[in-house]
Amino acid sequence: MELINNILYDTIYHSTPIILCVTGGMFAYKANVLNIALEGMMLNGAFISTLVMFFTGNLPLAVFLAILTTLVYGLVFSFMGITCKGNVIVVGLAINLIVPAIAGFVMKMMETANINLKNVNITKYKINIPLIKDIPIIGSILSGHPPITYLAFIGIAIFAVLMYKTRFGIYVRVVGENEDSARSIGIKTGFYKYAAVLIGAFCCALAGVNLSVERLGLYTNDMTAGRGFIAIAAIYCGQGEPVLSSLYAILFGVARSLAVNLSIYAGPAAGLFDIIPYIIMVAVLAAVSIVKHKNVKVRGFKC
Amino acid sequence: MSMVEVVDLTKRFGGFTANDKISLSVEEQEIKCIVGENGAGKSTLMNMLYGLLQPTSGKILIRGKEVQMSSPIDAIAKGIGMVHQHFKLVPSLTVYENILLGVEIKKGKTLFVDQRTEIKKVRELIDRYHFELDPLDKIEDISVGGRQRVEILKMLYRNVDILILDEPTAVLTPQEVDDLMVSLKNLKKQGKTIIVITHKLREVMELSDSVTVIKKGKVAGHVKTKDTSETELAQMMVGRNVVLTVSSERKGPVSKDIIYEVKDLCTINESGKEMVSDLSFRVHKGEILGIAGVEGNGQSELVKLMTGLMESTKGTITFLGKDITNQWPAQLRREGIGIIPEDRYAQGLCSDMSISDNCIAGYHGNPDVCKKGIFNQKAICAKRDNLIDEFDIRLGDINEKIGCLSGGNAQKIIVARELSADPKLLIACQPTRGVDIGSIESIHKHILKFRDEGNAVILISCELSEILSLSDNMIVMYKGKISGRVSQSEVETESIGLLMAGIQPGGKGAVHE
Amino acid sequence: MNKKEGIIRNILNSILPIFLAFVIGGVVIACIGENPMETYWILLKKSFLSSTGFMNTLHYASPLILTGLAIAVTFKADLYNMGVEGQMLFGGFFAGIAGAYITGMNPFLHKFICFAAGVLCGMAFALIPALLKAKCRVNEMVVTLMLNYAMAKALEFLSTGVFRDLGSGYVATPIIKESAMFSRFGRSRLTMFFVIAVIVLIIMYVVMKKSKLGYEITAIGKNSEFAEATGMNVAKKTIVLMLLSGALAGLAGAGYMMSEQFKYTLNFSGTPGLGWDGMLIALLGGHSPGGILIAAIFYAALKTGSDNINMYTNVPKEIVALIQGLIILFLAVKFISERMDLKGRRLHNGTDQ
Repeated sequence: MELINNILYDTIYHSTPIILCVTGGMFAYKANVLNIALEGMMLNGAFISTLVMFFTGNLPLAVFLAILTTLVYGLVFSFMGITCKGNVIVVGLAINLIVPAIAGFVMKMMETANINLKNVNITKYKINIPLIKDIPIIGSILSGHPPITYLAFIGIAIFAVLMYKTRFGIYVRVVGENEDSARSIGIKTGFYKYAAVLIGAFCCALAGVNLSVERLGLYTNDMTAGRGFIAIAAIYCGQGEPVLSSLYAILFGVARSLAVNLSIYAGPAAGLFDIIPYIIMVAVLAAVSIVKHKNVKVRGFKC
Repeated sequence: MSMVEVVDLTKRFGGFTANDKISLSVEEQEIKCIVGENGAGKSTLMNMLYGLLQPTSGKILIRGKEVQMSSPIDAIAKGIGMVHQHFKLVPSLTVYENILLGVEIKKGKTLFVDQRTEIKKVRELIDRYHFELDPLDKIEDISVGGRQRVEILKMLYRNVDILILDEPTAVLTPQEVDDLMVSLKNLKKQGKTIIVITHKLREVMELSDSVTVIKKGKVAGHVKTKDTSETELAQMMVGRNVVLTVSSERKGPVSKDIIYEVKDLCTINESGKEMVSDLSFRVHKGEILGIAGVEGNGQSELVKLMTGLMESTKGTITFLGKDITNQWPAQLRREGIGIIPEDRYAQGLCSDMSISDNCIAGYHGNPDVCKKGIFNQKAICAKRDNLIDEFDIRLGDINEKIGCLSGGNAQKIIVARELSADPKLLIACQPTRGVDIGSIESIHKHILKFRDEGNAVILISCELSEILSLSDNMIVMYKGKISGRVSQSEVETESIGLLMAGIQPGGKGAVHE
Repeated sequence: MNKKEGIIRNILNSILPIFLAFVIGGVVIACIGENPMETYWILLKKSFLSSTGFMNTLHYASPLILTGLAIAVTFKADLYNMGVEGQMLFGGFFAGIAGAYITGMNPFLHKFICFAAGVLCGMAFALIPALLKAKCRVNEMVVTLMLNYAMAKALEFLSTGVFRDLGSGYVATPIIKESAMFSRFGRSRLTMFFVIAVIVLIIMYVVMKKSKLGYEITAIGKNSEFAEATGMNVAKKTIVLMLLSGALAGLAGAGYMMSEQFKYTLNFSGTPGLGWDGMLIALLGGHSPGGILIAAIFYAALKTGSDNINMYTNVPKEIVALIQGLIILFLAVKFISERMDLKGRRLHNGTDQ
């Protein structure tokens, strides 16, 4: 029972940052901008929030600055990739390299290998919902999570509405699907692409805060561990549909949660369990792709 | 007073003058046709009228007032709307969403779109102009003619008085063309002024009130439709007497030797719909087989199947007695099949590569240019020079990239490349699309000569006149099937038109859309 | 467009990003109260202006030439093999295992076996995304990005478990045998590995510029539909190119193991990893072998220099990683576009058909 509760709790716990990246990244996906800088943006959110917490202990300020600086990266990405028409893949990778470089640089100046918020008690961030928390199973799913986790799940619904029921959402999709047509009726395509990337940056910043300050009170340079890329895989699998893509994100959460909880019983092979989530994502990606292309008889990759 | 007047309009791209001092005027409630060859500068002119391009010099007047338009939005605000040849619709959105794109109706001051009101408004619009459309259909599910109607409605919703249509009939069946003409005349009655760009003279004669002919960026003449004829217009377009059809006079009957045979061929598209179903035909030695049909009836898929770009779900293809079903393009070329692909710049040539690189493409593994995987640069250049000589390809600079060549010269490179490999069969798909008349003549001559040497040709074209003038026998495709087989001696344009719409002439008759 | 103009444009497009990155790096250095000019001078002096320093630079350039080539052959074909880092690690690891566990072998043969192990592992790991791409049309970029992490974790597992050198104070595999080590030239760190890398570079030059495969790489990269229609079988070529890329990456890892590291540690490839460095080098060198050689030497100089920055100034050596990131960022944009003078005509061709 304890194990099941742990697995369920951890599923939500590990899904959160991915869901945030997915919901943020899917706008860029729909706008036909491949944003692989999700990873770096998330890391920046984690780094800046931890850094500000370390020096000031002021959580709102930390979150605010984390979002602000990540938006700056979003602007850099958009400017180089959209305004200057650079290769977005290269721009994205550059950001993924610059963020840990800056963090490494700063930590070297601070003469530390990681930033540890010893003075912050992370359990106080957890929201325990009265009554619900005592219900078995449901309690461990719904209760005891930090605020951003709840935001992430509410975000799925909000972003789904934004994507399908508002003019903004329609325009983002039009820009991605047929830029010519968007331009011919006067949609400022650049604006919508910028907006899509910036929404991604905003969500990634929150994912970073969740990952570092809220959950661990710790920052290390490799803490995002490819979650941004996993989010991209989930977006691909769900083809940018908010709910579907989020489900794939949760699938990763399940895999990770199982790996963490079951590795205790694995003895010396425990280390191998870390690989499982990545392998599962690759397998899912392959499966989705096979289903999607099962009727494609045209040879070659451009269709 | 004229509705639209253009005075001395000039547009230069670098050193190239696309429009040279063009002047013309369009009266209110008139249908004006602008005709000219491919590359004559018609589209450039219209793009300036629609604010997509800015003129280098000259002015545009609407109702006598000079206007400057920096974007299509400007143009629409001034009452000019345009329906492009390639529709600017968003396939995954519905008809009403596409029509209202950019002018959505919001629920009060919220962010949300008021879908109910939108649908109602679009219904009213459709009823007012008697168009046949359902506002809730997705664009990807409706026919090409329907899409065109959506484009027209998109403009009408924005209250334009002047409607420009760029090659509106290129993608329609003959019947859809008739419907369109009725709609356009109807719109004229309702007070709209219409400008149609086209190169199909028959439609010009039927539709328009007046015609302006453009040749090489200049006005070659203005005429009232009732004072002119097709032949006269053609002469003005080209500047000399033209034979509108090349004679395919053949010496003797088609041989009985089968070179190429397609049997029960099927394939499906991405969503699993059968695009080619149970197709069978034979091509004989010394025969040109024309495949006619309105675009989107499976010809494109058939070509892909025959040229190794797509896999079949059923059926066989045999070439010279050998089964070549689902072979890859390289293998097909090795067997002796020359391929002129459908889309010149997508499949035939690589615009970012040099002319010599393009001259060997498809045959780059042949021992004359490539030994043990290493190229012989000298042999490649020699081959290129040979082709240029033999096929009279005109280039500015030999080191230019393909993208700088005119459509005709680029196409000639493909034809030269494929024919120089001495194939036994040529699959020629849209061999003269977007090509000037001079090059058309030359390409047609090469194809006929190739046939007369005892080879076979499969010609796929959406220009019915091209098929009629070149082929010995023809088949017509409709919805992935063969709707009729005709030999040249017994052909009538009329009946082919019906076959293209899936109607058996004199027979039971299929359902008309 | 003439050729000379093109070359000048390419050079400017490479130098401008470097210049901008160094300016921004300089500002950062100035912000922490150090002298940027002095820092850059040390960088230059220690890596270029002494013979040992220069030879060290060449030494560090060796694996970078190979990872740069590994990236270039795929990027040029519009194929994003982001797994060069993982393929390099995998190759390096098993070259190290072969080096450590095979004993009493002829030095030449031993090195050959290690290289073979590295190349095979690199190819094997590249085969996964290649097959997924060719058979199931899975985006190779996403797969390779994720598999890099899986590989790092897997190797961590192996080096902390089965292959752990228990005598070592930290996580590492046993040191390779002397017969698998490249000996150094003189006082510098330079070894035969550099010569091997240059030979491979020359071979790749012929492949990319003169061969059928090179022609096909260009064609696939510029227009894959055209490539397919003219019989290049893009799916099959995708596998070939990914294998080639994996082999080059594995070779880089094996060589780095045998000439520099001698054992696998968790920080084997440094930060940010030789594979990522390779990306900078391929982009900087414009995917051409000549450019890659120059870019690899340039970047190796930065790396050798960065150790000295630490020694002689208070600037953390992470500044080099920052400058690297900035160079890549600026390289994404073509400052001087080749479309500039052609644009008008193209537009015309495109709209008036």
